[in-house]
Amino acid sequence: MTDPQDTQFLPLTRRQVLEAGTVVSASGMISTATAQAQTQVTTSPSLPENGTTVHIACRVNGQPTAIDIDARASLLDMLRERLGLVGAKKGCDHGQCGACTVHIGGRRIASCLTLAAKVNGREVTTIEGIGSADGLHPMQQAFIDHDALQCGYCTPGQIMAAIACVKEGHASTPEDIREYMSGNICRCGAYVGIVAAIEQAAPQIERG
Amino acid sequence: MTQERTADRPRVDAYEKVLGRALYAADQPIAGLLHAMTVPATIAKGRIEAIDATAAQNVRGVVRIFTHEDFSQIKTTPAARGAYGQPGKGHQPMTSPVVRHRGEPVALVVADTLEAAIEGAEAVKVRYAPEPFSARMEDELASPEAQPDRQLSSGDAEAAFAAADHRIDVEYLHPQQHHNPIELISTTAAFEDGELRIYEGTQAASAFAGGLAGMMGLEPTRLRGVSPYTGGGFGQKNGIQEQSVLVASAAALLRRPVKLVMPRGQLFHTASYRPRSRHRVRLGADGQGRLLAGLYETVQQNSRYDGFACDHGANPPRMYGYHTWQGNDRIVRVDTQTPGHQRAPHEHPASYATECAMDELAEAVGMDPVELRLANDAQSDPITGKPYSSRHLAGCLRRGAEMFDWSRRIADPGALVADNGDLIGLGVACGSYKGSMTATVTTLRLFASGRCEIATSGHEMGQGIRSVIAAELIEILGVDPAKLDIHIGDTGHAPQHITAGSWGTGSVAPAARSAAMKLREELSVLTGAPLSEEPVHVQLARTRRPSLEVTVNTIPLGKDAQIIEQLRRGIPSTTGPEYPDFMAFSWIAHFAEVHVERSTARVRVKRVVSVADCGRVMNRRTAESQVRGGVVWGIGAALREAGETDPRFGGVLNNDLAEYVVPVNADIGAIDVDFIDQPDFKLNMSGVKGLGEVAMVGAAAAVVNAVYNATGRRIRHLPIRIEDLL
Amino acid sequence: MRSLSYVQAKTVREAIEAYAAAGEGARYIAGGTTLYDLMKLGVERPAHLVDIASLEGADRIDTSGDVLFFGAGALMADVAENDVVRRDYPVLAESLSKAASQQLRNMATVGGNLLQRTRCPYFRNGAIGAYPCNKRAPGSGCAAIGGLDRGQAVLGISNACTAVSPGDWPVALTAMDATVEIQGPAGPRSVPIAEFYRLPGDTPHLEFEIEAGEIVTGISVPKTEAGRNSTYLKVRDRESYAFALASAAVALAMDGDHIRQANIALGGVATRPWRAREAEALLNLRTIEPDIALAAGRAAFADARPGEHNAFKIELGARTLADAIMTAGRKMQ
Repeated sequence: MTDPQDTQFLPLTRRQVLEAGTVVSASGMISTATAQAQTQVTTSPSLPENGTTVHIACRVNGQPTAIDIDARASLLDMLRERLGLVGAKKGCDHGQCGACTVHIGGRRIASCLTLAAKVNGREVTTIEGIGSADGLHPMQQAFIDHDALQCGYCTPGQIMAAIACVKEGHASTPEDIREYMSGNICRCGAYVGIVAAIEQAAPQIERG
Repeated sequence: MTQERTADRPRVDAYEKVLGRALYAADQPIAGLLHAMTVPATIAKGRIEAIDATAAQNVRGVVRIFTHEDFSQIKTTPAARGAYGQPGKGHQPMTSPVVRHRGEPVALVVADTLEAAIEGAEAVKVRYAPEPFSARMEDELASPEAQPDRQLSSGDAEAAFAAADHRIDVEYLHPQQHHNPIELISTTAAFEDGELRIYEGTQAASAFAGGLAGMMGLEPTRLRGVSPYTGGGFGQKNGIQEQSVLVASAAALLRRPVKLVMPRGQLFHTASYRPRSRHRVRLGADGQGRLLAGLYETVQQNSRYDGFACDHGANPPRMYGYHTWQGNDRIVRVDTQTPGHQRAPHEHPASYATECAMDELAEAVGMDPVELRLANDAQSDPITGKPYSSRHLAGCLRRGAEMFDWSRRIADPGALVADNGDLIGLGVACGSYKGSMTATVTTLRLFASGRCEIATSGHEMGQGIRSVIAAELIEILGVDPAKLDIHIGDTGHAPQHITAGSWGTGSVAPAARSAAMKLREELSVLTGAPLSEEPVHVQLARTRRPSLEVTVNTIPLGKDAQIIEQLRRGIPSTTGPEYPDFMAFSWIAHFAEVHVERSTARVRVKRVVSVADCGRVMNRRTAESQVRGGVVWGIGAALREAGETDPRFGGVLNNDLAEYVVPVNADIGAIDVDFIDQPDFKLNMSGVKGLGEVAMVGAAAAVVNAVYNATGRRIRHLPIRIEDLL
Repeated sequence: MRSLSYVQAKTVREAIEAYAAAGEGARYIAGGTTLYDLMKLGVERPAHLVDIASLEGADRIDTSGDVLFFGAGALMADVAENDVVRRDYPVLAESLSKAASQQLRNMATVGGNLLQRTRCPYFRNGAIGAYPCNKRAPGSGCAAIGGLDRGQAVLGISNACTAVSPGDWPVALTAMDATVEIQGPAGPRSVPIAEFYRLPGDTPHLEFEIEAGEIVTGISVPKTEAGRNSTYLKVRDRESYAFALASAAVALAMDGDHIRQANIALGGVATRPWRAREAEALLNLRTIEPDIALAAGRAAFADARPGEHNAFKIELGARTLADAIMTAGRKMQ
C-alpha cells in the first residue's frame, strides 16, 4: 500500500466522507425539484452554472419552473441534471435515437437537440407528467399489456412518441404507426409489441 | 404449485419502466456530482508526446484535468477486463503515454457542469508521435497468430469431402458490428457509507469489486457495483469499461462523486464490438443429402493485447449428424480496441456461414432445405459422442414449417411474385446455443405480512430476469408479485455473476426455486407439520415470527463449491455445453419471408416465424419478446449493420446511430414465435435452457437464404445492401 | 462547445440588429437540428446565438395566392400536414414527411432545412478523427476521396469535395422552381433556388448563396397544375429515419397522355439539389412508359463520376428516378 493512488484514497475516513457530503449538499441537491409543492414556482437551487446563463421561466409537467441555466445546455440536460427528471434518457445526444423524446406545447420533440433556452415560456411534458393521479396513462398500460419493452431504457421516449403519434392522427394503420414511430430506436427489438400497444391505446386517447 | 408451466404474466418490472421510474446508472440522484468528459485519441497508434491543458484549465467550471501522469499507478491486472477473463497483457488507457487504438481516452476533464467538462475536453491539446498501424486483417501490418484458438475434428473429413457426391466450398465474410444498447455506457463513482460505489450499466457488477479494486489497489470490500437496471447490454457491458477505473480514480483523488456519460461516438472506440470474421465452409454430401463431411475454417480480428478467442467452430458440428468434421479457428491481431462478446458472439456469425452453406448444399443436392436438415438430425454429438440433454430441433422445424406455410416455397429463385411485382423469397435456417449455468448466492425472506424479498445474483438488461425469479417464487410459494422485492445487479445485496451467455435464467431460476423450497421446508419445521394450501405468509404469521429467511448457494451441474468463491471474487466460471453425461444446447428454427423490390432492390422482411426449444418457458410473454428481439438483431445483421473502418485512419468511421444503421420500427414486419416448451430436467431443477442468444442464431441466415430464393443471388457477405442486388 | 450568449429575437429587424451587435461568432439558430448537432460535434463553434425560431409571423403558410408561400419559421411537420400541399403538391409534402423523424420535423423549420449541412462522416467526425476536410477546414484536403465513399456524391463533385447535399425538401423545391426569400442589413432579396446552392469547386466551405447576417425569411413556390402529378421517392439504407442513397422529385405537366413539361430534381447523389434537365428534355412530349422513364433516369446520370464504392448510385439513381416518373404518371389516372 505504498503507491500514491492508495495514499490518496485510503486515509479517507468515514468522517471525511461525510464532511465532503455536507459541503456538497450545501451547494444544492438535484432531486429537490420533483418534491416541490404544486403551487410553488420551482426555482433552481444554487447549482453551479458556467459560461453565460439565460433565465428560463416555463411549465414542466404543469408546474411553473424558473431556472438560470448555461445558454448552451440542452433541454435534456436541464431536465435530467438540473430538475431531477430522469425519465427522458440520453441515448445518442444527436437526435438519432428518440430516447429523449418529450413534448413541448403538446408536440413531441428530441430534447437532446433542443436548447434549454428555447423552452422559455413554453409547456414541457415528460414521462413523469403523463399519468393521472390514480394510475397509468392508457399508453403506459398498453405497453405493459403487449410487453412493448425489454430493458426499458428507450421506453419513456417510446411512450411519449406514441402518445403524440396518436394525437397527431398517425396511428390509424399499423403501417402508419411503424413509419411515425421510426424515430424511436428500440435496440432490444420490441417493435412488434410497440405497434400492438399503440393500436390498443389509440381509441382511448383523444386526437389533438 | 398449481400454476401452469408456461405462464403469460406481465413483466414484473414493466410498471417501473413505463413510468420512467426505473433508475439506470446515469439517473442516480447524487449530491454534489461532478461531471467528466474524456478526450479521445485522434491517432490509431503511437505515443503522447505532450498534453497542453492550459486552455482547458481556464475554462470556467473546470475542476481538474487528468492525464496519464495522474493514473500511472493504476494496475492492469488479469481481472481488469472483467468478463473476458482470457489471457492477455491488457491495455488500460491513460496509465502511460501509449496509444493503442483510435478514440481511446487520453485525458479526463472534470468540471462542475457537463457543459464545462465538454468545453474543457475540447480545449485539451495533445501532441502525438504516431506510429504505423493496421486496423483491418487484410492490411499490411496485421499479425495472424500462428496457433489456432480451437481445433475440432472427427474422422477424416478431407477424404470424406473429396469422395462426396455433392460438394460446397464457399467463403462468407461477416462485418464488424457494434452492440449499441440505447443506454450510453456511463460511470458514476461516489463515496457513500464509507465505500466507493460504482454506478455503471453493467452485466457484471462484481467485476468492480474484483477488477477495479485490483486496479486501484483497494480491498474489494470497499467497492460496491450497483446496476439494478441495465439499459441493454448484449454483451457490451460484460466487464469493466476503459472509462471505469478512470472515473473511479478521479473520484478518489477529488473526493467528490464524478459522473461520465460516454458519448456514443467515443463508445464505438472504447467499448467492445463483434470483430470481423471470414468463414470458409466445405460441405460434402451423398446423393441422398447425408452429410459426409464438414470442414470449417474461420479467422477473426482481435486487438494486439487481449485474449478474445475465435470460437466459431464450437457449435456448427453439433447442428447435424456429420459423419466427419474438421474445423479450426484463428485470430489476426490488428490495432483496435479489444472486441468482445456480442449477442450470440460466435454462434451468430458461424450460423450465418454454415446455414447459408446448407442452403447452397440443398440446392446442389436438389433437396428441400427443411428436408435436408431433418434428414441430418442427430441425437448425439459427432465430436464427443455424448447424447444431447434434449434436442427438439426437428420439432422446431416441423412446427415452424407449418406456421409459416413453408409448402408454398418454390426452389427456383424468383418464382413467387407479389401483387405489386416484388419478388418473394422464403428461407429457413437453424441455430443452437450452449446450455450454460453459473453459481448464485440467494437470500430469500418471507414476511408474515405477505411481503417477500429476494436478493440474488444476476442483472436485468431487458431479458426479464426479474420475471423469471418471480415465476419460480409464485409457483413454489404462491407469493403476490406486487409484494415482491427483487434485489439484483448490486454487490451490496449478493455477489453478482456476469449475466451473459444465456446462463442467467438457467442459473437464477433454480436458485429462486431451491430457495423457495428451502423456505417451505423451514417453515414446515417451524409449524411442526406439513404445509397446508393456505398462503405461506399466513402460516408463517401463525408461528408469531415476523419473518423467515433462508440463504442458498447454488452450484451448477459439474462444478464444486469452489465456484462460489470465484463468484464472490467476480471471476467468471460457467458450465456447458459439455457436461459429464451429455451435451446441452438450446435449439431454434427460423423461417423468413422477404419481398425484394425489382427496380431499387430494396429488401423487406415481411414475416418471420421462429420456433425455439429452450427447455421450459418461464414466462410466455417475456420469452416471446426475447425471441422477437433476437430476430430483429438477425434482420439488422442480414440487411443493415456494419462498423466501417477506413484503413488509412483506423477507428470506426460511421460511429453514430444515423450512420451505423440498426433496424427501426418500419423495418420490422410480423414476427410469430412459438416454443416446444419441454423442460430439460437433466440440466437443472427448473428445466430451463437459455433463450436470449439462441433467439438470434440462424435468423440472419434465414433472411439471406430468403433473399437468394427471391433473387437467385448468393451474396456471401453481410450486410446485404441495395448495391449487392441491383 | 464554447460558452455562448443567446437571445431570442421577436422580429426580423431585431434579429438582424442582434446579429450585427453580437459581432464575430454570431449565428442565427432556428430549430437547431443541424446547428446544435454540429456544435456538439465541435464542427460549429458559435459564440452568440440569435434565435429566430419564433419571429412574428415567420411560421405563416399561405396557399391562397398565385404562389405557395412558406414562412421560413414554419415547421417541417406543419407544411407536411398542410391539406393543400398534400393534395395539390404531394412532392413537397412527401419530401418533408420522409425526412428525419416526426420529433425532428416538429423542431426543424422549412427555412432552416435549406441550410442543412452535409452528412459526410469525414466532415462531421471532428472529435475522433479530425479528418482532412476542405469543407470543415479549408485547404486540409478531402478524406472521402479515396476513402469510404459509398455515401458520397457522383454528380457535381470536385477534386476538393464529394460531399452529398443531404436534404429532401430542397430537392423538391428545386424541381418546383422555388424562390428563396432573404432579408439582410441591406434589405430583402429573392434568390431562385437553382442559384441558392453552390457547387463545391475549390471552395466547398461556401455552400449557400447567403451573406453573413442575412436571414431566410420564406420560400415561394409557383403554383402549377403539375403539382398534382408529382411525387418524391427516397431510397435509403432502411425503411425510415435515414438519409437518401438516392431520391427523385418529379412533377409532370401533361397534355392528354403526353408529357408537356417534366420537372425533375435528384437528391442523395449530388453535391447540391440536382436539377436533371437532360432527363426533363428526354421526357418532353413522350408518353409515360417504363423504358422511357428508365432512359430519362440514365440520361440524368450521363455525367456522373463515381468513386470506389458509390458507382451503384448511378444505377440506383436512374432506377429511382424511373420509378418516381412512373408513380407521378400514375397520378394522372
